[in-house]
Amino acid sequence: MKRAMGLALALCLLSFGSARAADTIKIGLLAPMTGSWASEGQEMKKNVELLASELNAKGGLLGKQVEVIIGDDGGDPRTASLAAQRLSTQGVVAVIGTYGSAVTEATQNIFDEASIIQVANGSTSVRLTEKGLKYFFRTCPRDDEQGRVAAATLEAMKAAKVALLHDNSAYSKGLADEIRGILKAKKINVVFFDALTPKEQDYSTILTQLKAAGPDVVFFTGYYPEAGLLLKQKKRMGWNVPFLGGDAINNPDLVKIAGKDAAEGFQFLSPPVPKDLDTPEAKAYLASYTKKYNETPGSIYGVLAGDGFRVVAKAIAETKSTDADKLREYLTTRLKDFPGLTGKISFNAKGDRLGELYRVYKVEKTGDFALRK
Amino acid sequence: MEHFFQQLTNGLAVGGIYALIALGYTMVYGVMKLINFAHGDLFTYGAYLGMTLLTSFFLQDRLGMVAGLVILAVMVMGLVALIGAVLERAVYRPLRESPRLSAVVSALGASIFLQNALMLLYGARVHVYPEDLLPQATVNVLGLEVPLMRIVVVLASVVMMAVLYLFVQKTKIGTAIRAAAIDQGAARLMGIDVNRVILLVFLIGPALGGAAGLLVGLYYGQVSFTMGWLYGMKAFTAAILGGIGNIPGAMVGGLLLGVIEALGAAYLSLAWKDALSFLVLIFILIVRPTGLLGERVADKV
Repeated sequence: MKRAMGLALALCLLSFGSARAADTIKIGLLAPMTGSWASEGQEMKKNVELLASELNAKGGLLGKQVEVIIGDDGGDPRTASLAAQRLSTQGVVAVIGTYGSAVTEATQNIFDEASIIQVANGSTSVRLTEKGLKYFFRTCPRDDEQGRVAAATLEAMKAAKVALLHDNSAYSKGLADEIRGILKAKKINVVFFDALTPKEQDYSTILTQLKAAGPDVVFFTGYYPEAGLLLKQKKRMGWNVPFLGGDAINNPDLVKIAGKDAAEGFQFLSPPVPKDLDTPEAKAYLASYTKKYNETPGSIYGVLAGDGFRVVAKAIAETKSTDADKLREYLTTRLKDFPGLTGKISFNAKGDRLGELYRVYKVEKTGDFALRK
Repeated sequence: MEHFFQQLTNGLAVGGIYALIALGYTMVYGVMKLINFAHGDLFTYGAYLGMTLLTSFFLQDRLGMVAGLVILAVMVMGLVALIGAVLERAVYRPLRESPRLSAVVSALGASIFLQNALMLLYGARVHVYPEDLLPQATVNVLGLEVPLMRIVVVLASVVMMAVLYLFVQKTKIGTAIRAAAIDQGAARLMGIDVNRVILLVFLIGPALGGAAGLLVGLYYGQVSFTMGWLYGMKAFTAAILGGIGNIPGAMVGGLLLGVIEALGAAYLSLAWKDALSFLVLIFILIVRPTGLLGERVADKV
């Protein structure tokens, strides 16, 4: 008798639980909320939550409200796989994220096996989409495209001797390898290829080594905190060599760390930020972001997470379904030139974003980032 | 040759900071036989407190640079010492009679707590000191251009070490500290208030860590809530290298570690820089398990 009652109670709870679950459409956000990339993760959260609340104000999706469920990957592959497993048991339709390539890689198979659409927003490593996973997409471009743009920029600067500096992370090393390969094919001399240790404060040892190699241009493929310190300490050494950087450098804090003097003239590659896009979507988005948070979006990856959320929402609305296969079919074949916050979005069959996305930015005397035409 | 000396000065500058943090590790270890894993985070608190005080009181505008910096240093060291004392009371004292492993786990817990508290208070973004507080002058030393502040950093750590060494060796309280380091039970029988000695150690060690944090913040300008981990790790290595529990050992270990890193990066491999310095540590521990200056047990703090 007792057992029967327990069973009935359990059934009751279960049906109540699933009834509640059906009330909302759950979209996961996997992001580094803690750990060394926590600032990027918090930007992603801000963007996705803003877009979700706007969507909900307009009535949500398929007549239901959208609920954002956040998983913290800590910027670490092990934590990420646990967070991904947790998310996949929470009834999410799709997952946005995450940032680092190695971190994303740890979660890919988990979502694929659970038939959950994943739209990464910062993971640029080439091999993530070369594996042929069915439900994986990304709104950021790939390292090989960035490598091509980097090599073209270096050529335009007439650099004969190039130094490549990375930080041994999957992203940074991968990008540096791509650039080295392309430069080799173009017979441009790579005089320096090595890594620094991220999170250190003193890079004078590395700068002394770099200077001794005598490059015309230094390309640093790491993140903005290290880039800022490199620029500042390079200036203190009195060494005047142009520095170029990859897309992980697109963060206004770079100028604060380096100081305006040291940052001036520094160039980096990046997908365009909303303020440089003339589209109505970008303008409207910028306005509502500024209204809600009282600042402009700090990082491009937060915006790319927003784009991930928007394409998923679009796919759900258009297919009137949350079935992963239908969403996938829509995203790969029917979504064409969707007006994203970072430009037009279409995906190829691998899940990669189509089109040339990278632009060259330059730091102005005022410390602002200016799009170089 | 110029390249060699350039890298040598690079190494000494970083090593000076390692040494300063290592002093705190070594003092706590000497008395408590405890590796205070939260020490790296106290260093971070020093850097953040320095930034906060500097931006909220405009110290240098009101008092001029030198006086402003001295007051700033005193305030930061005092506050971090206070955090150290609270840490001792709340985290370490309740476990003093427990097995040593409990205290180590407790230290790790305190480290994680301190780090996350800082993230919640200040946010996860990297923070920046006000621009160009310090003179950017360079001094010509034997044909090498060395930034003035690097010399100040090394000098500051040498002076602090010397003061600490004299304090421990020559004063009555220093004698009490040394006695407690050798045998807490016997020291208690001799009428030494061991609790107060330990509290004192937890004031001095963190104060030095806080000072190091302030120096790093002032010189490099950038602080992040996770910065203590790498510095803590390096300083811990430096303390072991020089002989943990030994004050001059921490100094020698710190400077040596900085130089090994810089020269290893210059002549062997940049990417293997950290691996090389840890390899040296392993080698020294095999040849001399007590560390470089670790044999004089009576000098232990």
